[in-house]
Amino acid sequence: MEPIIQLRNLEKSVEAGPNRFFLLRRVNLDIQPAEFVTIMGPSGAGKSTLLSIIGMLDGAWTGEYYFNTEPVHRLNVKKRNELHKANIGFVFQSYHLIDNLTVFENLEVPLSYKNVPHKERVSRVCDALDRFNIVGKKDLFPNQLSGGQQQLVGVARAVIMNPKLILADEPTGNLHSAQGDEIMQLFKRLNDAGTTIIQVTHSERNASYGHRIIQLKDGWVVGETATADVGANAAQPG
Amino acid sequence: MGSIWQDIRYSGRMLWKQRLATLVSILAFAVGIGVNTAMFSLAEAFLLHPAPFENANRVVALVDSRPHQNIDMNAIAPATYFDWRKEVRSFDRLGAYAWDETSLTGNGPPQRIQAFRISANLFEMLGVQPQLGRGFLSEEEQPGKDQEIILGHALWEQHYASDEHILGKNIKVDGKSFTVVGVMAKGFDFPLPAEAWIPLAIDTKERERRDSRWLWVLGRLKPRVSFSEASAEMQAIAQREAQAYPENNKGWELRSMTLAQSMTGDITREYTLLLMGAVAFVLLIACADVANVQFARMAGRTNEFAVRTAIGGSRSRIMRQLLMESLLLAGCGAAVGLLMAQWEIQMILSHMPPDVAKFIAGWKTIGLDPNAFLFTLAIVVLCAILSGMAPSLFASRANLADSLKESGRGSTSSRARGRLRGALVVAEISLALVLLVGAGLLVKNFQGLLNVNESYSPRTLLTMNVGLSDTRYPKDSTRLAFHEQVLERLSRLPGVESAAFVTHVPYSEGGGVGTYVFSIEGRPPAERGELRNAIIETVSPNYFGLMKIALLGGRLLTDADGANAPPVAVISESLARRYFPGENPLGAHIKVGGMDSPRPWMTIVGVVKDVHYSWINKENIPTIYGPFRQAPPYYTTILLRAADDPSQLISAARAQIAAVDPELPLYNIKPMNRIITESIIGIAYVAAMMAVLGGIALVLASVGVFGVMSYSVSERVHEIGVRMSLGAQTSDIVRMVLRRGMLLTIIGLAIGLPIAFALARALSSVLFGVAPADPFSFIGLPLLLAGVAALASYLPARRAARVDPLAALRCE
Repeated sequence: MEPIIQLRNLEKSVEAGPNRFFLLRRVNLDIQPAEFVTIMGPSGAGKSTLLSIIGMLDGAWTGEYYFNTEPVHRLNVKKRNELHKANIGFVFQSYHLIDNLTVFENLEVPLSYKNVPHKERVSRVCDALDRFNIVGKKDLFPNQLSGGQQQLVGVARAVIMNPKLILADEPTGNLHSAQGDEIMQLFKRLNDAGTTIIQVTHSERNASYGHRIIQLKDGWVVGETATADVGANAAQPG
Repeated sequence: MGSIWQDIRYSGRMLWKQRLATLVSILAFAVGIGVNTAMFSLAEAFLLHPAPFENANRVVALVDSRPHQNIDMNAIAPATYFDWRKEVRSFDRLGAYAWDETSLTGNGPPQRIQAFRISANLFEMLGVQPQLGRGFLSEEEQPGKDQEIILGHALWEQHYASDEHILGKNIKVDGKSFTVVGVMAKGFDFPLPAEAWIPLAIDTKERERRDSRWLWVLGRLKPRVSFSEASAEMQAIAQREAQAYPENNKGWELRSMTLAQSMTGDITREYTLLLMGAVAFVLLIACADVANVQFARMAGRTNEFAVRTAIGGSRSRIMRQLLMESLLLAGCGAAVGLLMAQWEIQMILSHMPPDVAKFIAGWKTIGLDPNAFLFTLAIVVLCAILSGMAPSLFASRANLADSLKESGRGSTSSRARGRLRGALVVAEISLALVLLVGAGLLVKNFQGLLNVNESYSPRTLLTMNVGLSDTRYPKDSTRLAFHEQVLERLSRLPGVESAAFVTHVPYSEGGGVGTYVFSIEGRPPAERGELRNAIIETVSPNYFGLMKIALLGGRLLTDADGANAPPVAVISESLARRYFPGENPLGAHIKVGGMDSPRPWMTIVGVVKDVHYSWINKENIPTIYGPFRQAPPYYTTILLRAADDPSQLISAARAQIAAVDPELPLYNIKPMNRIITESIIGIAYVAAMMAVLGGIALVLASVGVFGVMSYSVSERVHEIGVRMSLGAQTSDIVRMVLRRGMLLTIIGLAIGLPIAFALARALSSVLFGVAPADPFSFIGLPLLLAGVAALASYLPARRAARVDPLAALRCE
């Protein structure tokens, strides 16, 4: 099977006065469909940068990036946005729900960006509310929810378009451990159902939910391990 | 459609959430849109539909003009009109009309009415028909067969109680019997301000006159002939006329203009355009204000836009959402603005004296009509784009990765945004300064016009007009007797300090001044184009004393200058300076008309100071004063000097004149200061509107400065905290914030001043009492603007100085 993501010699740098500062160096990476990959590394290693590039939010890099064999590095902004819109869902550490929209409306926004007809939008949002058990919260605004509930909505928003790939940047970073576990189990179930997941985390416990860990340091990929080798103490997904 | 509705809903919610910013934006738009809609309604009435007739767009007005004397529209000589009728090919007919003030007599007290003598084809040319009866027949243009009259609707209603059987009845006009043949429809008052029409019958002798211009000529274009083709043909004919009759056509130029143009007039058009420009400035300033508010609001939402992008929102879609917010703001502003426009229009309409309004083409049609609503709709879209485009462009291209980070600041885009917001404030200051200077100049012009006439204390002067008809006062002796008796009776009235006659008091003809050709004995006009024109006033000797006109040389007119004495004249200083440069004019001989005129030569016996005659003419106009006893006039203005309020004299004066001639109507009975204010009311309106617009611009610009500085302070709270923790004093922080506010203000003033100076140069040539480098406008007003901007910067600066460094640093 072809990898869903192939990165070849991917590099990202920024100008720093007369010098060039590299955020990512010669990253080569293959991720298979339905894989659950964790990216780890110290602060400033380039984890979030790599996630932004994979999520096609950042187009200023060099190298090759194939998404489902589609050469992203050759696509113009419009095509890249379309590819992103059709295939990728994001989950953020601080949820990034839109404060002024209700839970229902937050879930509806990505559907409206894909010009999904109104009736279908309503039906899909209702399904998602039901599936994530947040029907009772649909008319609440984000600031009326707990952190865990907000992240639940964040995940629901990410999956409502049935993306092939979910990118999660420290998804449990702002949650206490019980809420974190709940979210991680949710990811696990989604992954089991066939969604590819890439998460950035500092938590080995969260990493243990995945299949593989990519270690980054100073922009370089410095190691790659299967999760089985990591923390036998990590909690098993339920 | 669903997604647009979704955008509207979200936008409404966002605006509601930030109510203060929304309120400021809506008010700024309301003011900007309100003045634009109101001004559009005026411009539409004056410029687009001043001639509401079926054929108006095919009718061309043919007028004479004298550019170097600021006469942009003048009537045509009868002989020229009849020449044109034979020669022109571009028009299927030419028609004409002439002013003819007459009196309705024989049925109660005499009533002065504004009648016009019109050619039989005039109504048909315009595409109008009488509501009752018929128009004139061509045979009624024959002298002796012209005893028909058509009544205006208002006159028919008020004077004849809407008598349905009026047709065929005889009424007395100036003592002669006229048959009513028609009544015009309600509202028809062309040529303004007509109350009745009689046939234009011109006798053979008058038909051949080229030295007297009193016919206003209109032509209707033939089908498939364009205005420019007809205009070109008329120019060619006019050139031939000028070559054939050089004496009568020196300095005159033919102008072809559309009927609408001729009805509006150049000055109204120019001032309307000036005000349109001013309101456009206000709208731009309002848009810049709202754009600044939008920048501030959107800067607080960068994270939201990044999230929207991350979950699939395209840039255009996000921009659409943001523009929708601007559109909603502009829409709400327009709703309030329409109410303001309605109020403004009512204010404008209610303050115009009816005596002036009746002369303004289109005045009756001013109001918020469907076109005004369409205009407002277009303005709403324009406002949304102008105020929303730049902020939405910036917001939608925020650095996503940075924005989504926990404390990403996106410093590059924030700096660019700051620069753009600064540029907007600079533009606001520049525009506001130009408006303020324009307003300042116009207000000074208005004040100048009021002050220039203070020399003769117009508040204690009463004026009234009488017109003696040639049927009842055919002889000089009867007219002289009338004037002598009236003068004697009025002078004896209690409360009257003195009474005098003059043909026209200054400012009595609106902006216009009637001048006539005169000749100087022994000096035939040498070269072509030389013009000898002056106001000719027939006065009683005490006129100069009553008007406090100082004698500069020679003597004034006296009671001894009677019919049997040698003809004499007094001239104004400007006439002496222009036509007798470096020599003594006393003793020289002048006469009214050309060298071959039958009028007598008059000896110049005195030179007096000039009187300012019209707000249009900045320079004084040469004037010749002749004694009424040597040429008893048909038309005259009576002047009464009272000790205080002159209106108390009206009824007594009426009684005295009625005692001399009970059939003679008195009209235009007004204090002199009212004549002046009515004459310059157009300027007063323009000055007042410009002053209001300048004030609005000042407030809006200061709101802009305040908004930008407030936002700048809130963005720099952390920096201010750091500075204070490093030892900065309150005064250092205040100075730091003020410096930026004042820098923007100074740049704005530096850009605005040259533009304002160019405007002042253009305006000073036409405005009275205004120098191009007026110190009030160029020092006082910029200082005022700078002061207000300093205050607008000081308030945020004071807030900055109160920042608690510990709290500011903890926040970060």
